[in-house]
Amino acid sequence: MTSTAARPAPAPAARPAPRPRRRGPRLTPYALLVPAVAVLAAGLGYPLFWQVVTSLQEFGLAQQFGQPPTFVGLDNYARIFTDDRLWAVVVRSIVFCLVNAFLTVGTGVLLALLMKAVHPVVRVVLQVGLLLAWAMPMVAAVTVWKWLFDWRTGVVNWLLVQLGFDSYAGHAWLAQPLSFFFVATVIIVWMSVPFVALSVYAALTQVSDEVLEAARIDGAGPSRILWHITLPLVRPVLSIVLLLQIIWDLRVFAQIKLLQDGGAPVSETNLLGNFIYETGIGRQDFAGAAAVSIFVLALTVLLSWPYVRSLLKEDAR
Amino acid sequence: MKIVRMAAVGVAAALVLTACSSGDDGSATGGEETAEAAEITLWLNGADTPDELREYLTTTFEEENPGSTLVIEEQDWADVVTKLTTALPDAANTPDVVEIGNTQSPTFTTIGAFRDLTPLYEELGGDDLLPSFVEVGKAEGKNFALPYYFGSRYMFYRKDLWSAAGMEPPTTLAEFADAVTALRTDGQSGFAIGGQDWRNGISWVFANGGELATESGGEWTSTLSDPKTIEGLEQWQAVYQGASNVPATERDVAYWDFLNDGADGAAPAAATIMAPGWARWSIGDLTTNDEGEEVRDGMADTEKFGIFALPGADGGLAPVFAGGSNIAISATSEHPELSENLLRIIFSPEYQQMLGENGLGPGNSQYVDALGEDEFATTMIETAAASKLTPAAPGWAAVEAAFVYEELFQAIAEGGDVTELAAQYDERITPMLNGR
Amino acid sequence: MSATTTGVPGPVAAQPARSGTPALPTAARTRRGAPGGRTARRVRRALLGLLALVVAAVWAFPVYWMVLSSVLPSARLRASTPTFLPTSATLANYRSVLDGDGFGSALRMSLAITGVTVVAVLAFAFLAALAISRFRFRGRLTFVVAVLFVQMLPAEGLFIAQYKMLSSTNLLNSVLGVSVLYTAAVVPFTIWMLRGFVAGVPIELEEAAMVDGLSRTRAFLRITFPLLAPGLVASGVYAFLQAWNEFTVALVALPAESARTLPLWLRSFLASSANRGVDWGEVMAASTLIAVPVIVFFLIVQGRMTSGLVSGAVKG
Repeated sequence: MTSTAARPAPAPAARPAPRPRRRGPRLTPYALLVPAVAVLAAGLGYPLFWQVVTSLQEFGLAQQFGQPPTFVGLDNYARIFTDDRLWAVVVRSIVFCLVNAFLTVGTGVLLALLMKAVHPVVRVVLQVGLLLAWAMPMVAAVTVWKWLFDWRTGVVNWLLVQLGFDSYAGHAWLAQPLSFFFVATVIIVWMSVPFVALSVYAALTQVSDEVLEAARIDGAGPSRILWHITLPLVRPVLSIVLLLQIIWDLRVFAQIKLLQDGGAPVSETNLLGNFIYETGIGRQDFAGAAAVSIFVLALTVLLSWPYVRSLLKEDAR
Repeated sequence: MKIVRMAAVGVAAALVLTACSSGDDGSATGGEETAEAAEITLWLNGADTPDELREYLTTTFEEENPGSTLVIEEQDWADVVTKLTTALPDAANTPDVVEIGNTQSPTFTTIGAFRDLTPLYEELGGDDLLPSFVEVGKAEGKNFALPYYFGSRYMFYRKDLWSAAGMEPPTTLAEFADAVTALRTDGQSGFAIGGQDWRNGISWVFANGGELATESGGEWTSTLSDPKTIEGLEQWQAVYQGASNVPATERDVAYWDFLNDGADGAAPAAATIMAPGWARWSIGDLTTNDEGEEVRDGMADTEKFGIFALPGADGGLAPVFAGGSNIAISATSEHPELSENLLRIIFSPEYQQMLGENGLGPGNSQYVDALGEDEFATTMIETAAASKLTPAAPGWAAVEAAFVYEELFQAIAEGGDVTELAAQYDERITPMLNGR
Repeated sequence: MSATTTGVPGPVAAQPARSGTPALPTAARTRRGAPGGRTARRVRRALLGLLALVVAAVWAFPVYWMVLSSVLPSARLRASTPTFLPTSATLANYRSVLDGDGFGSALRMSLAITGVTVVAVLAFAFLAALAISRFRFRGRLTFVVAVLFVQMLPAEGLFIAQYKMLSSTNLLNSVLGVSVLYTAAVVPFTIWMLRGFVAGVPIELEEAAMVDGLSRTRAFLRITFPLLAPGLVASGVYAFLQAWNEFTVALVALPAESARTLPLWLRSFLASSANRGVDWGEVMAASTLIAVPVIVFFLIVQGRMTSGLVSGAVKG
């Protein structure tokens, strides 16, 4: 092993990226995909099919209770698209999603680098700290954060008052949409960062010390090493983590719903997930909810398309 | 359990018995196998029905229906609509008998999810059953859901603070407004109520003879612009603005915390609150219970804490919104006779009595005495008798799901023009009530 | 450190993303900068360590608050002056949530479902990630993109379809039914994640080993697999937490009380109603109990994530 891997550290830049050159049985890759495809078809295939069909029907509680649904073409889509509330929710969700995704990934990368830089014992402490946050059941997490930001008994207001900001006595954080979303962002970033930090850290462990050492000997400063060596090396993982955060943050639902319970300007703080929930479970307009779901799917595809294309291009090289 | 049952029903009743006896203690000793013997399922919500009552139901049912068994499954209030939506139409998995929140009833009664109970109505109590609950369980003149139990809400107050200000419990709604407005300081609400808290707020509408919505010829109309409703909303606006320090966006607040002394004997955050009866056990001075835990003493100090019912506009009682449940049989139940037998047990004098003894308002008003005779029991009975429910419109669930009233009440609390808001929300709510 | 001002040699700066060589001869260690630089580095490292501890504390604070709330008497919860230390601790909340067999059966159910899900997710996703990053084949791009997009479907509207599916296949209330749904929900993410990790391992490493006479499978197992371990662990932790804490699908797929998972069990403490308020102390105690196995699981796997497999196999 040692002898074969002994190549000069700075690989020649001009060398083309490796092309997979396996010539094995042509069925191998398909065989490898079978289990994943099977479970996806079983778990998501029918629900997706149902969603599409239902979005083209009149389907409410009566249909769920046995009345045959009637085909209505694109009526449901026409109905939701002419609903002004939907567009307000769409804009709000996109902004919220992008802010949260970038904040989460940014913080996560910083913490991953921090893990790499500190003593192993400290690292484990940090990892456990993050994992504790990740392991906390969501209901408990949102509840605790709600308590911390409570207008009357919250620790945040209490601390601010102790620090001399008397105007925060009784400040209602959830009453204004903007500060509501501030609290929601704190919670979601807090919850999502552990995953990003641990994943990126895992990717960083793939970067060998020797490469970094060689760069250092060659005189590269820490920031150059970070930008030109470390981050490019973990880019595959970084890209996918960011993309996944965008997908997930566009679908944030439960945290917002739990924050709204107990008092908030509901219609001004709804995101897409809440809109679907309200339409489906709340109003029993299952067809409308299905149409919104399909729309959200299309929206996500659209939003991430440039990004996915660049991923694929990189992949094809 | 369900899977076992599903598979077995198709094969033979005998199998059901053997399959289930392992799970249910003491029921399968005899094993008389009649053709119709089966296992039925009852869904109860939350922990409201105490274990003692559940055991009574299972044993009595099994005694009276030899060979059959009753399985009680506990559902969570938050999920009950979702679970009923999926399970009720599914004959293979439907619960046979279900408890459902009173205001959730119309959603299901209007689409035929429940079995028609009209033939049983007289036998199960008839006109003695709590009228507002019977009404909300009706569709097209038929009874689909009947009252299971009720709770009620009334006012809890700091007697010491009221007395110190030289005030007595009010006898009219206007007196109440004056008193709590006078009791408000910067650090203390005279009457703590959140701006979005319409479930408490609608009492002012009802007290003035107003309605949220009315039905005529099967069409529902939102009636916020009715002069009486507007009068009530304006009174509530004045009370909120004059007496409450709670933010306009709050609802479902744990008001009972407000009535307790702060840490180190600091003044309480409110002089008056409105809450369900059980709030009593979260109010009072700190004490230590038998297990050595710190608990509230349940308002033991009667000089310090007290209750009264919200008075009406011209004396008497204001109608309040009553919490509680209805009970119904799934339309797809494969064992309707056994399910009806279970209802007979639930509406029997013994069981109604037991409900009352456990602090639950019995659905049959003949047995409310079982609640007891203290101030809490009598206030609960009085307020329940005067209680009102939200409209039994098919689209009511949609209105609640969209938080329409929360928004309206918040806007009113923030000082909006009530007449304008009422017109605006009437326009929005009417189509929702009729299901589109 | 001392040479930051001098120009960086071209090759290092221009090094393309994929051709880095993670494993170099260990003998190549060179001495670092001047002694002064070493002290500076030590100070820097200590400061960073301090920062890391502060971050850990901040991140764990809400967790501390949960545990604290679970041992405080309910009467002390949410007082207007916060209680920061458990001065009058009580285990009453734990006693009352553990009362009865609800916790035991939910724990078994959760362990079974989570176990099946984690194993299935890792196995299926690993094979698929291998296929898309080590082979070129027709339909590959379609698969890659489809996998990415299926997870974009919002879950809030799926419950009726999921119920119908499970009910018609007799899989309601079964470990298998809900595990299939969980696996399907987590596998797309894991495929992409592992694909990133497989892509991070240069294929030359394997090829070099094959030149050395190892079979392809053995080369893969000896060289690539260990380098993927951190990715597998990260994905495994993710799958574990998803399955462990999920409740909206479980609610629909496991309607029977006897088939409850831990999050559904937790929900039973959350409902207030006409006759009862929420006992937040109990909620926090139940939440703490649910979080404990996750920490245990992580502590078991984290050693592998950082030390054992990676360095051992590559350098050995």
